[in-house]
Amino acid sequence: MKPSEIKKLIIGSMDADAAPEEIARRLEEEGISFDFSKGFSDRVIDKIFATGATIVRQAEFVRNLNYAFYRVALTGVAAIVILLISIFIMEGSISINSFLGLGDTYDESIVCLLTGN
Amino acid sequence: MIIGSYRQTEENELVKASIGGDKLAFGEIVRRYQKMVARTVKGMLGDSVFAEDIGQEVFIKLYHSLSEFRGEAKLSTYIQRIAVNLTLNEIKRRKRFFSMFSQKGNSEMYEFEVADHENEERREAKEIVNKALMRIDPKFRIIVTMRMLQGYSTKETAEILNLPLGTVLSRLSRAQEQLKGILEKL
Repeated sequence: MKPSEIKKLIIGSMDADAAPEEIARRLEEEGISFDFSKGFSDRVIDKIFATGATIVRQAEFVRNLNYAFYRVALTGVAAIVILLISIFIMEGSISINSFLGLGDTYDESIVCLLTGN
Repeated sequence: MIIGSYRQTEENELVKASIGGDKLAFGEIVRRYQKMVARTVKGMLGDSVFAEDIGQEVFIKLYHSLSEFRGEAKLSTYIQRIAVNLTLNEIKRRKRFFSMFSQKGNSEMYEFEVADHENEERREAKEIVNKALMRIDPKFRIIVTMRMLQGYSTKETAEILNLPLGTVLSRLSRAQEQLKGILEKL
């Protein structure tokens, strides 16, 4: 097709009453076609499913982290309960002082304890 | 990849299978529509490596939004809308980049390759189309791409671009005026 015909076709494709499908087909016949490089669909699929695997791995990590957190939290709560019970048994009450181990100490005895005299 | 088993499959079946994570079914969708997406993306951005990246992004976005596809519009229209949106976003991004770092005009963002092995007449035809697309205002380039490369009617163009029919008609006539001016100089 001559350059002048191509130009006519391009301008004609913008007419409101043109047959754009026919014009696009004729241009394609003239070698004006577009496509992606070979293996495009494989690359797309690889990208999608590789991303999918990453998401699955992320989800697994979060799930494992939650599981580990629950185990640590439950163990921690159990340890605190045992500590409170033992304090109650030894001191007879649960106050801040008894919790800190200061139940029967006087100021002087703390000084003696810290200075060694 | 073996996609032969899905060659004859209906589109809605392919969509259902793809939502279920069927690689081969989605591969067939990509195979069926990759040329259509290439025409939009490369028509708008030129034949550059970025166009290929945007093309991949179109299908990745399609895959993740397939569950939202209700089948009210044709799958091709749905894909075309994704392609147009991502391409326009890329053009905006490039415009921002170029306005920040250089004084280059829009036309210089547009690259095209013409294969050496093509005969003289075809090379010339391709160059005319490429130059016309390269020089036209990006606002009209999308309309030209939809009409000239995709062969869409005015109604289909309006549907894909989500524009009123009157707007498309007025842009067509303005694009035609611009094209006349550009092609006269070639």
